[in-house]
Amino acid sequence: MDQPEILTPPPAQVVRVRGFVKQYKQHIAVSGIDLEIHKGEIYGLIGPDGAGKSSLMKAIAGVLTYESGTVEVFETMIDTERAAERVKQRLGFLPQGLGLNLYPDLSVDENIDFFARLRLVPEHELAERKARLLAMTRLDKFRARAMKNLSGGMKQKLGLICTLIHEPELAILDEPTTGVDPVSRRDFWAILAELLQERGMTVLVSTAYMDEAERFHRLSFLSSGKVLASGTPAEVHALVPGSMVTFEATPQLEAISRLKTGCTQVEALGPVLRVFTEDTNPVSAAQAITSYLGDIEPQQLHVDKLDLEDVFVALLLREADQPPPSPELPTASVSSVNHGLAIEAKELIRDFGTFRAVDRVSFQVKPGEIFGLLGANGAGKTTVIKMLNGILPPTGGEGWVAGEDMKTAGGAIKERIGYMSQAFSLYLDLTVEENIRLFAGIYGLDRRATNERFAWIVSMAGLQGYESSLTVRLPMGVRQRLALGCALVHQPRVLFLDEPTSGVDPIGRRHFWDILSRLAREEGVAILITTHYMSEAEHGDHLALMYAGRIVAEGSPAAMKAQVEREAGQLLEVVTDQPGLALRQLERAGFAGIALFGAQLHLLSRDPAQDEVRIRESLASEGLHVLGAAIRPLSLEDVFVHRVMALERRDRETTKGAAA
Amino acid sequence: MKPADRLVVWCRRLTVMTRKELVQLLRDIPLMAFLIYSFTLSVYVTGNGIQTQLRNAGLLVYDADRSLSSRELVSRFHLPYFRFDGELIHADEGFRRLDRGRSMMVLDIPARFHEALVSGEPTAVQLLVDTTNAPQGLSAAGYAARIVGQFGQESVLARNGLAASSSTTVPMIVSDHRVWYNQDQNETWFESISHLLRMITIFAVLLPAAALVREKERGTVEQLLVSPLTPVQIMLPKVVAMTLMILGATAVALFGVMQPVFGVPIRGSLFLLFSLTALFIVATAGIGVFASTVTKNQAQVGMMTLLVVAPILLLSGIFTPMETMPAWVQYLMALSPLRYFIEIATGILLKGVGFDMLWSQALSMGVVGASLFGFGLWRFRRQFQ
Repeated sequence: MDQPEILTPPPAQVVRVRGFVKQYKQHIAVSGIDLEIHKGEIYGLIGPDGAGKSSLMKAIAGVLTYESGTVEVFETMIDTERAAERVKQRLGFLPQGLGLNLYPDLSVDENIDFFARLRLVPEHELAERKARLLAMTRLDKFRARAMKNLSGGMKQKLGLICTLIHEPELAILDEPTTGVDPVSRRDFWAILAELLQERGMTVLVSTAYMDEAERFHRLSFLSSGKVLASGTPAEVHALVPGSMVTFEATPQLEAISRLKTGCTQVEALGPVLRVFTEDTNPVSAAQAITSYLGDIEPQQLHVDKLDLEDVFVALLLREADQPPPSPELPTASVSSVNHGLAIEAKELIRDFGTFRAVDRVSFQVKPGEIFGLLGANGAGKTTVIKMLNGILPPTGGEGWVAGEDMKTAGGAIKERIGYMSQAFSLYLDLTVEENIRLFAGIYGLDRRATNERFAWIVSMAGLQGYESSLTVRLPMGVRQRLALGCALVHQPRVLFLDEPTSGVDPIGRRHFWDILSRLAREEGVAILITTHYMSEAEHGDHLALMYAGRIVAEGSPAAMKAQVEREAGQLLEVVTDQPGLALRQLERAGFAGIALFGAQLHLLSRDPAQDEVRIRESLASEGLHVLGAAIRPLSLEDVFVHRVMALERRDRETTKGAAA
Repeated sequence: MKPADRLVVWCRRLTVMTRKELVQLLRDIPLMAFLIYSFTLSVYVTGNGIQTQLRNAGLLVYDADRSLSSRELVSRFHLPYFRFDGELIHADEGFRRLDRGRSMMVLDIPARFHEALVSGEPTAVQLLVDTTNAPQGLSAAGYAARIVGQFGQESVLARNGLAASSSTTVPMIVSDHRVWYNQDQNETWFESISHLLRMITIFAVLLPAAALVREKERGTVEQLLVSPLTPVQIMLPKVVAMTLMILGATAVALFGVMQPVFGVPIRGSLFLLFSLTALFIVATAGIGVFASTVTKNQAQVGMMTLLVVAPILLLSGIFTPMETMPAWVQYLMALSPLRYFIEIATGILLKGVGFDMLWSQALSMGVVGASLFGFGLWRFRRQFQ
């Protein structure tokens, strides 16, 4: 036998899961998962809807029975209800869904008190903890407000307080950031990081946002009930060597079809193409891409590190038996070529009572353009879409959609637009074919046209083999493409997509975007999309950011990023051995707006070179080491957060000024 | 677009939407089970089970006379109306037995009853009746009074040397009735018909309301609103589909249960019956459309249906005749399509009358239905503004 060589004591384990299997009737939700969570870390479960995240978390929280395997929490085997009761006081569980564990009619204060008393928190400690948590979440001004009147982000922060009020040693948070706007999401992570530092808490958290993966100390990537990869973000990165080459190339469609002959991941982000190569050497990676392109000359070519999302997509593709169906866009007879603008909004206003939901919004969308409308919940995006769709009459202003005035020709507009909503709005109890034929009939297509469009949709959306399946049984990605197909059944010239990609796995999402860009480029369909997945907004040709009913920034993704870089500086990423201590030290030293991403610190810097030196000096004085520092490209999320925070600050100052 | 094309498109929309509703309904297994149960088993059970006539009323006797006459009188209280529960030893035991509730009445025959009858002296018997259930108690008292009266009359005749059968020679009024439309006075006929009407009413409100609210709940209504469909085109197919479904269920109840099992006659025109049933369903569906506009989910629709349907069922004249109700209730119920439909359904099935006799009810039902439907549609349109 080998002599075990112990250099450092193994980290204390809070959770140990072995061979976990959960079955719902015939359906196997989780098949054999192993997992270990160490004390004091944020452990992330990442994966699309239906990957098995919730089942696993519920079993660890002791509220779900399972078929086989072992689940140990605080060295107690969770195999009976009594065993689960023994550890429940030491953990906090936030179930999935915005504020679903809260009581809508109780106020913020009453909700917290209820959970505290349920957990037998002594009254004198409760007052102190409540004050601290409310201040941290900036909810202290809303203590008397009923929970149902809070915004989505505020509800989720209140949910977090209620979960943590008894200071659990282990917090289990199931998709706490889904449906929450980017600013509140950042807040949420900051609060969690602070509590982790102060209280030595351990956190198990799940998310469907791939870009949040960098925030975890360790993570498991789940897909269809199995673990595809796990470890620290760096370890997961190491599983897929490769690099991302981004460039612009015209004609884009020709470039894409040439690249697809040899590359597995080709993505169009507006005018930019992102291509994955297994080559890690920047020079030869670029050469490989250039050789596929032939006589098309790539412009502004960069070679970057892979994102974790790229890694996941590569892992998923490796797992799948066959390459993803590359969408065939069969040519359809385009009825009329539209000249002029597809959508024009001029000074649109909409009031609800005394509340102005949309305030003088103007924008234009050209045929063949993908236009993204961004904003937090309640910013007014959906109201704008409803007015343009003719569901909601505007209070003021004008609009033209598909060449018709929305005030006078609502009926004609409805015939010419396609619309797809967040919920995909399909009839789940109808089959794929029945859904398509229903919408064909609604748009008045005759039998011949219906058959033609049915065939077109099936091949466009890759629905072969699903024709007679009930929609409820379809995977989310397929459901999404079916909804898109139904919205396109009458060959609309303008397509509205309201938050269309929630809950879809990364491959499904890329497939979806592939279809959208082809629709725009090949058929000249104008697409207006709203989203608060900032990584999706990168696909837009032109973006408009809405805040409190107004458009506050506009431009292409690149232009918007460049604007923020000019105003606030570049994104500096610092890696240290003790990120929590480093964060506090740097804040003391006067650096503002630092965000913690797992082991890394992010901050905007006007003079990165000089700031790096200052940071190194400041941290060295406390005996902390900088393991690396680099300038990273800004994400659209950074842009969004920067803009909205600036506006919120200005709003606060004006209210203060008005009060004074 | 030419008007003809427009019509073609309009029909195409109506057809696909109606087909969709039918398919969705057929796939909703719990709802289908409820529908099938309500129009088959439940009709059978109700037809058999509900009896408003006197049956098996428990009778206790305290016979202080123990004579030929007293035994003769007691023997006239017989099944199926009365059930002999035994004799009491002490007269004061009667109340306690009634309190306990096992028996319904106590007949107290005094001593010297027979002697008094024979000698022509006036005499009386006492009947204690439990009228907790007023209609049953009162009808038991009524039956008993008839039996005692008849017995008294016969003993008077007998004392004067006349046989009971010779009553024709004595100057007295004989009430002799002929029963029409339901010669056997078979209660299952009316009970099963009125139960069928109750079920038609419930489903005519519930099905369209549930279908409309489901679209709201699942968010699919948004998709319909951005399509070129008008609110009428969204609502009408649901009403059409649900009407077809309920008509089918009615046919099953009528030809599958009521006719073969209870022998309910169908004396009038079937075509007229089903046409007017369709009119009734559409009229009542207006209430369902309204219910869907003030509710947000299926659970609320269920409660709302209960709330609206209960008074309609109770007060429209199925359980008790309209004429017995206070005037204001009668005026209010003029708004209930069911009030007219009862007369139409029993008229066609049991009396075999035709449209010439029913046109005024049909017209009233049509007018009330049109107003309810119009109101429902108005509310439905308004909620999306």
